Amino acid sequence: MLEIRFHGRGGQGAVVASELLAQAVFFDGKVAQSFPFFGVERRGAPVTAFTRIDDHPIELRSFIEHPDVVVVLDPGLLRDTPVTGGLKPGGLLLVNSPQAPGAFSLPQGGTLATVDATRIAVGRKVGTATMPVVNTAMLGALARVTGAFTEASLERAIVAFVPSHPEENRAAARDGAESVRMEPVAPSSRPSPPSEEAAPLPFPEGPVASLPSNILHTSSWRTLRPVIDRDRCTRCNFCWEFCPDDAFDFDAEGFPVVKLLYCKGCGICATECPPDAIQMVTEA
Amino acid sequence: MGFKVLSGNGAQAEAARLARVQVIAAYPITPQTTIVEALADMVASGELKAQYVKVESEHSALQVCLSAAALGARTYSATSSQGLLLMHELLHWASGQRTPMVLGVVNRAVAPPWNIGADHADTMSQRDTGWIQFYPESNQEVLDTVLTAYRLVEDPEIRLPAMVTEDAFYLSHTFEPVDVPDPKVVDTFLPPKDARAILRPGVVSRLGSFTGPDHYVDFRHQVAEAMDRVLPKLQEVESEYARRSGRDLGGPLVGYRTEDADAVLLTLGTISTTARGVVDELRSSGQKVGMAKLRVFRPFPVEAVRALARDVSRLGVLDRSFTFGSSGPAASEVRSALYGVPSPPSVTSFLAGIGGRDVGPKDLHRVFQALLSSRSTGPRWMDLETDGGVVVHG
Amino acid sequence: MAKLTIPREELMYSGHAACPGCGPALAMRFLLKGLGPRTVVSVPASCWSVIATPYPTTALGVGMLDNAIEATGASISGLRAAADALGLEDLNVVGFAGDGGTADIGLQSLSGMLERRTDALYVMYDNEAYMNTGVQRSSATPQGAWTTTTPVAGEARGKLEPKKDIMAIVLAHHPVYAATLNPSFPEDFVRKVERARGMRGPRFFHVYAACPPGWRYDSDQTIELGKLATYTGIFPLYEVENGQLRITRRMGQLKPVEDYLAAQGRFRHFSPEEVRQVKEQAEARWADLLAREKATSTPAPVREVPPAGAPAPRPSATT
Ligand code: SF4
Ligand code: SF4
Repeated sequence: MLEIRFHGRGGQGAVVASELLAQAVFFDGKVAQSFPFFGVERRGAPVTAFTRIDDHPIELRSFIEHPDVVVVLDPGLLRDTPVTGGLKPGGLLLVNSPQAPGAFSLPQGGTLATVDATRIAVGRKVGTATMPVVNTAMLGALARVTGAFTEASLERAIVAFVPSHPEENRAAARDGAESVRMEPVAPSSRPSPPSEEAAPLPFPEGPVASLPSNILHTSSWRTLRPVIDRDRCTRCNFCWEFCPDDAFDFDAEGFPVVKLLYCKGCGICATECPPDAIQMVTEA
Repeated sequence: MGFKVLSGNGAQAEAARLARVQVIAAYPITPQTTIVEALADMVASGELKAQYVKVESEHSALQVCLSAAALGARTYSATSSQGLLLMHELLHWASGQRTPMVLGVVNRAVAPPWNIGADHADTMSQRDTGWIQFYPESNQEVLDTVLTAYRLVEDPEIRLPAMVTEDAFYLSHTFEPVDVPDPKVVDTFLPPKDARAILRPGVVSRLGSFTGPDHYVDFRHQVAEAMDRVLPKLQEVESEYARRSGRDLGGPLVGYRTEDADAVLLTLGTISTTARGVVDELRSSGQKVGMAKLRVFRPFPVEAVRALARDVSRLGVLDRSFTFGSSGPAASEVRSALYGVPSPPSVTSFLAGIGGRDVGPKDLHRVFQALLSSRSTGPRWMDLETDGGVVVHG
Repeated sequence: MAKLTIPREELMYSGHAACPGCGPALAMRFLLKGLGPRTVVSVPASCWSVIATPYPTTALGVGMLDNAIEATGASISGLRAAADALGLEDLNVVGFAGDGGTADIGLQSLSGMLERRTDALYVMYDNEAYMNTGVQRSSATPQGAWTTTTPVAGEARGKLEPKKDIMAIVLAHHPVYAATLNPSFPEDFVRKVERARGMRGPRFFHVYAACPPGWRYDSDQTIELGKLATYTGIFPLYEVENGQLRITRRMGQLKPVEDYLAAQGRFRHFSPEEVRQVKEQAEARWADLLAREKATSTPAPVREVPPAGAPAPRPSATT
């Protein structure tokens, strides 16, 4: 049995990806079990999805604790989520990233793979520039690096089940398969430091939340970042006024400064800036 | 203050007044309505200083109480039957948000067909909502229980909601003398609610929140633990009340002539009173029987039931409602409480008084005879085994 | 830094979980700017119960109470009653519910709160569908719009029925103040909040709340779309105080509704005939508003509702 765990964010298509994958495996004549887990249906909220592939009926219904493969649809998650937790030694980590596999680490050893699914999705016009839907490109890459299901079956599943722009999605899957890069890595001799146990939360009696949400950072939600051209800025404050995330401060001279910990890259500030002093640039 | 002739509904209202409730929300439903009418008069006359919110449904009545309690007010509402069923969702909110409150429930049959007679199906359907449940048998007990319930639920270690029930008509509309405590006595026993609201204005706090599987179970477990603290706390609260009022409520399970009894019948609510009389009759004719009143159904007094069962070979449990596909709800609780105890008694489930069927001494004699003569576990629908007793057609 | 036209103080924290470009997030931000810290907000199941972030964090710098989806009106009646009983008369009591939680499942409770003249502000943030569950139609979804339960396929052309007129329903209860608000007009927004804050009795806001994923448009267009909604007459801005209607954003000529419709995926299937219908409805709405403004510009004769400016009777007999 092959067990795959997906980490993504609402809107990236992790849920649809797990369904497509089950279909593709079914077309291959094998058995799949695919299910998402999300606390809330929200664009940007973390989503985990699980897929099991086997030749026989699968006698197990639970989360995947020790996956053979981890697929990360949003590289931003690597910063704050232990996505490789439980990944089997010798397992595979596939990340949506423009960087080479060597840019990532896998202390337990195994295979690292990267594919620039965001660029592919934007290029194939799957989703929008602010919210590219990277799932099909990732599945194409996954088919190529694992061989767990055929690319032909994946394309067949996409054409049959993706409701809008199936051809663009099929092309994205093909691009993903063609451009994925992989690299084996040996286990690092140094054992990775024990993951820091989160201190148990002081539980008050009853569900009373009282920590301000600004301890949470939403920078990883964005694919574009606003850059302010101070020469053009007239300090009109429109950007501050219209930001839904209150992601602006002012510097000593009264120029707006983006609080990058919180900016989600919606682009409102750039659109509303009267002298066009704000450019949205792709996040590295 | 001395004795007053009050109905059960009057006793609820009187208790709410003595408790100096601050927010009342209510919607009319027979046979509860006279409670909120009485409270409306008290508020109108200035006898009771409270915000009285007239709502457009029972659902809203409970939401008003929930939100008011969240801000720190002492609240009261009352309902019956369909009204309680409509509140069901919010009953879960009250325990989950840990907003202490007291709700009067006049136990009434659930439709269809429409029937306003006494029946416990309404409150028994709320067993799993995290509410403490009391089933008093007299108007005096109603009044005393409401007062002790406020003290209990507002205790920082408890902070759970409680419902105090009364059997429709047998209490709600029955007038009898009730010893109404002096307000000064009540004020010492039940000081103003610690206004340490859960939701403080001007302070960052969100009551309710949402969580994934990570924390949800912790909050459920907290409710379970608070429930576990109820019975010991109730003992403290009741003994203090006894000191101040002279009346001992007797804890969650009040036995009567159970010593050396061969058979004991467990009852809830008003049937308990009649059963006590029948026990006396049977005892005087030499039959070794006893009875015990289950005052508190949630949390279920497992230890007290086990202690009672120790020297008894036959237990009967008389329920005024039925869990379809199972048995009387109290009967199944008793059975599960006795699981694993050495040489447990037989447990027979009796159903009587469904939908307001009258249960008189004759009926209870039949119950005791059945209990003494057979080890059938039931359920026995005693209302259908009558030989033409008093049946009032509605 | 130029002079700010709305208060600087932020009572909505960053780090919240709204989608990028979220209209309801802006609505909350402006609302709290106008209300200040002595505020408690009751929020039913809706996008905002999630936006406010999971335990143990909260996105509001004021008290927030979660309530059952259908019970926001009752919840603010309870908060008001408790505030008055506890001597917290200065507390702003606010309900903040979505269109489904207001115009559908919460309508009874809203009507109850208005009828019993609860001294509180009820805000319906209207993103025109059940967005928290993934874009299902509500009674506030515009006619013809695509949602996941009103698909556009074959003969099916999106939602068949017109949008429920929540303002008409609310005004039939004679609130002391009711207004339409749009985050694309922050000064007008905050002014209305401040105005409502100073009043007693039932108050209601109908807030335009654009939703990029649900309406299918790019998140940077939230403000532009809102401006178009008002300028086309689709969401005109006005306020009604004790029966007197005043338009707060006057337009000589309405902009073409095509500009508004074409910008959103949910209307992309519209035929010229369907566009014409929207245009006619917008024109009729605007003409009606102008007429009502004129008709109510002199104070109406005294009727059974509280006179202008007088505090509404409280729902209780506390003295
Ligand atoms: S909107 Fe543009 S001009 Fe105005 S303060 Fe922001 S960056 Fe400067
Ligand atoms: S891109 Fe959006 S979230 Fe980021 S600063 Fe601009 S308006 Fe705020």
